[in-house]
Amino acid sequence: MSGDIKVGDIIPETIIGPFDAPSLTRYAEVSGDANPLHLDDAVAAAIGLTAPPVHGMKLLAAFEPMLRAWRDDLIISSLAGRFVQPILRGDTVRLSGRVLRATDDEIFVRLTAYGAARAPGIIGEATLRPKAGA
Amino acid sequence: MPLESPCALGPFRLRVDPARAAAYARETGGDVETVPLAYPAIWLAEPSLFSVVRDLCDDLDVVPVHESQSFSYDAPLVAGESYDFSVTISREDTPPRLTLVAMVARLDGEPCARVETMMRLVPRAALASVS
Repeated sequence: MSGDIKVGDIIPETIIGPFDAPSLTRYAEVSGDANPLHLDDAVAAAIGLTAPPVHGMKLLAAFEPMLRAWRDDLIISSLAGRFVQPILRGDTVRLSGRVLRATDDEIFVRLTAYGAARAPGIIGEATLRPKAGA
Repeated sequence: MPLESPCALGPFRLRVDPARAAAYARETGGDVETVPLAYPAIWLAEPSLFSVVRDLCDDLDVVPVHESQSFSYDAPLVAGESYDFSVTISREDTPPRLTLVAMVARLDGEPCARVETMMRLVPRAALASVS
């Protein structure tokens, strides 16, 4: 049951990364997203970045295991994120979440991912529901 | 404001490859026993689909920058199963943007998921001027 979850509850922070070049290459290979911006220092430098940015999708997808670890009695029915600013290769990434709405049927959480910059790299949200029979 | 009618592509019949789903889960810190929520990102990168985006961007001399992404599920994807993947691409000019909305359906027609991708279109000249 999700009745014990309250508005304002904090989802335990998860630290991921830092991601190196081989890690970004592996993600590019498995996802099919071979955009050189994520893989080539020169391309990243051409737009003023000190290192290639980590694929936003790689980071957004990392919220799923964080949410599953938080509550394995819930299923995630939606996951969304806005890629606000780049999180760069070599950054340690902090994933966090906070409950914004909670009913017996649905939990809505705000998600954020921070790299080295002070502003978030991703602002996201997820909706979770009780598993059938939970 | 839309500049042209939305462009509909598909449906493409695509399969959740179990090995690729597990590899994707490993690269995103997930559980290799379940299909990641973000797995359809792999389908969006399919050459038959993404070539439409790439060709449009080449014509406009812009670079697509991933702005936002969402996945909304009626039912989870199952490894080894095939799905019909239908995509609608819309273009706006203020700000310049492409929106891809993909509907994932089981082969019996039951809707399974909705995937939305928004990409900002940045002129190559503007990118070059940053450096």
